[in-house]
Amino acid sequence: MKRVYLHPLPVRIWHWINAIGFIILIITGAQIRFVDSMGLMSFETAVDIHSWVGFILIANYFIWLLYYLVTGKLFKIYIPPFWKPVEFIKNSIRQARYYGYGIMVGDKNPHHPTPDNKFNPLQQVSYLMIMVLLIPLQIITGLILWDPQFFSGLADVFGGIQIASLIHTVLWIFFSAFIIVHFYLATLGHTPMAHIKAMFTGYEEEHEDH
Amino acid sequence: MRGIFISGIVILCFLISYMIPLKDAISEDVKACLKCHEIKTLQKRLDTGESISLYIDGKKFEKSVHGPMGCSSCHPNINVRNHPKPRKIANKKEYVKEFSPNCLNCHPKDALMKPEVHGIVVKKGEIYCSECHGSHYIGSIKEWKNKASFNEYCMACHKFDMTKTLPSKEKISLKVNEQEIKKSVHGKFQCIVCHSDFSKVKHPIYNFKDKKQYRAEMTKICTKCHTDEKLKKNPAHYALTKTASCIECHGYHGVKPAKVVRALPENQYCLSCHSRAISMKFKNGETLSVQVKESEILKSAHKKLKCTECHREFSTTQHPIRSFESLAEYRAKAKDICNNCHQDAVKKYDISIHAASLKKGNKESPDCLKCHGYHNVSFITKDKMASSELCIRCHRESGKAFEESVHHVAVKQGKQNAPNCSSCHNSHDVLPVNIAKLDNACIKCHKDVKTTHNKWLWNPPLRLTTFVETHFNSTTCASCHTKTQKAIFLTLVDKAKNKTLQEDEVAKALNIDIKALKTKIDPNGDGKIEEKELWQFMSSIKEKTKANLLGKINVLNSSDAHKIESREKSIKDCAYCHSPNAPMKSKLEINREGTKPLRFEVETKALNSLYAIPNIKDFYVLGFTKIQILDVLFFLALIGGIAVPIGHITLRILTAPIRRKRREGK
Repeated sequence: MKRVYLHPLPVRIWHWINAIGFIILIITGAQIRFVDSMGLMSFETAVDIHSWVGFILIANYFIWLLYYLVTGKLFKIYIPPFWKPVEFIKNSIRQARYYGYGIMVGDKNPHHPTPDNKFNPLQQVSYLMIMVLLIPLQIITGLILWDPQFFSGLADVFGGIQIASLIHTVLWIFFSAFIIVHFYLATLGHTPMAHIKAMFTGYEEEHEDH
Repeated sequence: MRGIFISGIVILCFLISYMIPLKDAISEDVKACLKCHEIKTLQKRLDTGESISLYIDGKKFEKSVHGPMGCSSCHPNINVRNHPKPRKIANKKEYVKEFSPNCLNCHPKDALMKPEVHGIVVKKGEIYCSECHGSHYIGSIKEWKNKASFNEYCMACHKFDMTKTLPSKEKISLKVNEQEIKKSVHGKFQCIVCHSDFSKVKHPIYNFKDKKQYRAEMTKICTKCHTDEKLKKNPAHYALTKTASCIECHGYHGVKPAKVVRALPENQYCLSCHSRAISMKFKNGETLSVQVKESEILKSAHKKLKCTECHREFSTTQHPIRSFESLAEYRAKAKDICNNCHQDAVKKYDISIHAASLKKGNKESPDCLKCHGYHNVSFITKDKMASSELCIRCHRESGKAFEESVHHVAVKQGKQNAPNCSSCHNSHDVLPVNIAKLDNACIKCHKDVKTTHNKWLWNPPLRLTTFVETHFNSTTCASCHTKTQKAIFLTLVDKAKNKTLQEDEVAKALNIDIKALKTKIDPNGDGKIEEKELWQFMSSIKEKTKANLLGKINVLNSSDAHKIESREKSIKDCAYCHSPNAPMKSKLEINREGTKPLRFEVETKALNSLYAIPNIKDFYVLGFTKIQILDVLFFLALIGGIAVPIGHITLRILTAPIRRKRREGK
């Protein structure tokens, strides 16, 4: 059994704050939107929690960004090898085939994570999109909704508060679905708790080929 | 001896006199009555202090038409033996009133009613028989009629206090003061010189609607001698005769020369004519009183002004004759008079909804005169309610709503800073409420309003006043500070020009007549814009302009905006608006320059449509205007998110034997 130190402490802290924050934001977001049919808390409380946690996650995002910029790992880990697109596409298909078929018939996971290449091609594309595009978009549109007057300039860039709200809501829907799938995928290690445990300890266990 | 002789002579005379009859025509009862009533000093004193002579001149009575009749014919229950005790009589009128029915014993009422005018006099009962005909010395009417001059004949009745009530309920006096006529310039005239349609045998009856018509008809009498040709020599006077009746200035019977003395002080000179009930007539038939009450001027803010300081084209030597199409045209010009001194106020008024409305023909809309009066221009009062009453005269509903407000309580308490109508709506530049930015009026007094709202209206973690501004931009103060029905008002704005689109601009962009705009927006004409109609209209207008809809929450009925509650009672529950079930209606307003907007009800679900995103870009009420389809998408995503693991796990369970076999090397 090989142990790979995949998740450094700052990343783990960021991840768990983000995970809890996301769940809270999704639930309070639902409470704000469905105030007439959900009774978890009052509208005012939901807005207060949503705003506080939103700002915590903005700060958290910058911890992540700062860590990956300072360590220079952002490029290595998150950017797919666009200079060898054919190989990347092939690897992506292989990875998708694994999740759709190989995993059923007992194939080995084609991706073997290392600290410098911890994401498989599908993860790499997904997390790049999420971390570089979707989360910043959610942050910006969230800020516009948090204080439309203060961020009226930003709202104009988007073409109005309606579009900002549309983006924020669509991303809320996406993240709601994503977080479920993400949790499920996290159980697809060599044991159901393997990846989850790794996100606490930092070490990912991997069976060595014999 | 001498005494006995004198007494004998007296007794003899008495006996002789008793034996000689007075005259055969006089009946015995008359003689009996005259025994006392021939005493010249016999009189009765009335309660009023007046006295009635009870003396009867026997000879005169003998010659009268009633001479051959006995006293008891007219005084049925009185004779020497049975003379009632003296009674109390209030006054002479009461006396004749009480006595007159006795005449009817011989002169039945039917007969008296036959001559029409006599009939009217009898019926009205203002004058009684004996007042005209006398009591004991009544001569032959025929003889009197022949002998009497015209004036005597007319005055026989018209010296009395007679009145005529017109259909307008106005009363005109028919009493003529003979002395006044004698002193007048017409002193030598007989009545029929002027009243030529009357004579001793002719007394027409005229039915005038009102005093005005009466005066106008009377004026025609004057023009028989005072012809237009003669009057035209003085143009101002001639113009006056066309609008005012002669009698306004010259009187009825006491006609006096109304020469105006130029040396009079200017205001007095003008008032020589204008203190009277004269009026001017417009081409369309409307009339306007040009009477000026000196007492009103003296009480007004203009009391120190001379007439010509306002009426600059007039003087003691100049009186231009002006001609106006209508009262509206006259009043529009009258504004120029005010503008001589009050340029600032007039300039502000000119941009007001009142000016625009007046221009469009709304006669009720105020101009300077409607609020400030003609000559009774009042001082600016410190009584806030009094000055508001002027507005409430027309805006009754708003006035009533204001009475329910905390502001009205403050006014009643006499608080110096309590607002009245003009505090928010201005006095002269009163703008339509949809463009007046009335919230600024609130902020004028409630200066720290942003800070006070920011105490509770903020999003953590930062207490930014811009969050308060967000709400101020999209809702009016009255929306939260009144407990009334609210609505979202959508207005068309040109995003490229950053301005509100006016009705004419919208019509122009759609290439239709302004009158067809209503049908264009609401094609089925049901007064409500359905979702489809709204987006179709937006799609048409966006072909030509960068039009978009902007929303604002306000009270549905603008009068309700006056019902401001105390701070404690205002709405602080965010979910009141930020809920899909918020009790709000939706309206579409197309602005119209200077007047109230064109307003339609909008199907509220239109605000929850996907089409709202490109068409209402800058207005979004969290919760209330949410795009409904996204809720469906959220639940589908949740189901999808759960379905993926479940499906995958199911496949993994189903394929477990394959993996087992492979692990076992089979």
